[in-house]
Amino acid sequence: MEGVVFWLILTLVKILVILAIVLGIGAYLTLLERKVAAHIQRRPGPMVVGWHGLLQPLADGLKLITKEDLFPRYGNRFLYNLALVMALVPAALVFAVVPFGPEFELFDVKVKPMLTDVNVGLLLVFAFGSMAVFAIALAGWASNSKYALIGSMRKAGIVVSYEVVITFAVMGPIILAGTLSTYEIVQKQIQQELWYVWLQPLAFVVYMFAMLAETGRVPFDVQEAEAELVTGFTVEYGGMKFGLFPLVEWYIEVLSLSAIAVVLFLGGWSPINIPFLGFVDPLFFLGPFSPFLWFVLKVSLLFLFVLWLHWTLPRYRIDQITETAWKVMLPITLVNIVLTAVFAPLVWE
Amino acid sequence: MVKKVFERPLSWLERVLFIDFIRGLSVTIRQALRRTITTHYPYEKVTPPKRFRGFFGHKVVDGKEPQPAFDEWVERFKIKVEPGKSRCVVCLLCKRACPVPQLFEIEGEKLSDGRRRVSVFNMNLMLCTFCGFCVDACPVDCLFQSDIHETASYTRRDAVLDLQTLERIGRDWQRRREEEPDRIWIDDHQRLKLWHENQLNLPEVKR
Repeated sequence: MEGVVFWLILTLVKILVILAIVLGIGAYLTLLERKVAAHIQRRPGPMVVGWHGLLQPLADGLKLITKEDLFPRYGNRFLYNLALVMALVPAALVFAVVPFGPEFELFDVKVKPMLTDVNVGLLLVFAFGSMAVFAIALAGWASNSKYALIGSMRKAGIVVSYEVVITFAVMGPIILAGTLSTYEIVQKQIQQELWYVWLQPLAFVVYMFAMLAETGRVPFDVQEAEAELVTGFTVEYGGMKFGLFPLVEWYIEVLSLSAIAVVLFLGGWSPINIPFLGFVDPLFFLGPFSPFLWFVLKVSLLFLFVLWLHWTLPRYRIDQITETAWKVMLPITLVNIVLTAVFAPLVWE
Repeated sequence: MVKKVFERPLSWLERVLFIDFIRGLSVTIRQALRRTITTHYPYEKVTPPKRFRGFFGHKVVDGKEPQPAFDEWVERFKIKVEPGKSRCVVCLLCKRACPVPQLFEIEGEKLSDGRRRVSVFNMNLMLCTFCGFCVDACPVDCLFQSDIHETASYTRRDAVLDLQTLERIGRDWQRRREEEPDRIWIDDHQRLKLWHENQLNLPEVKR
């Protein structure tokens, strides 16, 4: 009985910590994005609120919360609000299976710094990823607006095609690790002294592309397409409801998919890897904190890379995007799976 | 003869290695690491070039009038010339040149000694397009356009410049920028002087 109570409390604490960190960081990533975009365009970005605009996310949030909550006249109010929940909850739930670091002992209790270590963790991730389609389709449908509907249809088309690709792309690391649990995959990479990106560069590139497509980042942001579609399916939302969609799509989803990419390809919390030889840890002086820092470092570098791509590349057409998915990326991933299956026994030894 | 020009297509290897992506990314990262080029507007203000078409003003009599035009017009209209007052000779050529003439409201008055001078000179800038035709038309180099460009105001009344305001802008301009060579280069040393150090304190220009 006591064990159950303790476990409940521990899980609650974990949920609170993860939610607070994810949503808080999500808010501050808006500032980071604006700063990166500004400096790429040789502007300073937000400078007025706080030192170099550090309080800007708070000001934005305050402004969005106090705005009037508008609703389109012939829309469906239930679906309109449901779309918000459907967008936010699956995106945040992905963090339930992200391992932030190795197991550690706290007051004689072994604690894994992840919410649940289910043995189908990756399946869960991609199931939640597919649920994002529902949110977008509902948002477009319930708004009763042509722009919103076109945007949501485009996004649904992209997400459906890239869900297939991303699932096949992660097959490679799964074969190499022989497990679907995210924690176990990282453990396997540490045991085999190998980041899977060294053996799966194709899968990694395809994964990155699919990640950009699923999160609606440039070069796949046709669902938003400011010039044609006035920001797509969010057009009828106002105030904080409007703010939530980009927050979820551009920040929380990118963050969660970056974390999954780090887990699958870049060895999770392990330090810099020399293939088959071992790990080099320049942060060894931090002791037990170094794995956590490595994880955060890798995720943030990946996120910065996504931002950098976003503010560099132009946008593909919708037919080019789906064509790339079905005609180029899917065959590549299938070839990759076959090759991996052939070479996997070598790695297992 | 038509010469066909194609962009060199990317080779197979370049496509696989995302050479085009890498080129673009290298451009953006180089720009991102350089200094920003913006002016933080309410805190920093750029001085416009001397020929900027901003608010209007009346240059005042200070002995630098264009001769012999000024003396001829003064002679013709029997204008009373007072140093430190507007050079205006009430010829109405500015009103003639204006595409929207009703924005000018110009009246002269006859003094007791038989001489005349300008008494009312209102310009309603709500109607003005800042085309500068009136400035070109002015025969005595009186009406001119200054570098005052913060033209926002709280009421429509504030957008009407009267004679006193015009003269004040003129005096301020002659103090600050009369001597400056009439050039528009960006490396002009004169432009390093701060525009917002003008001493006008117009109702329109909230500092």
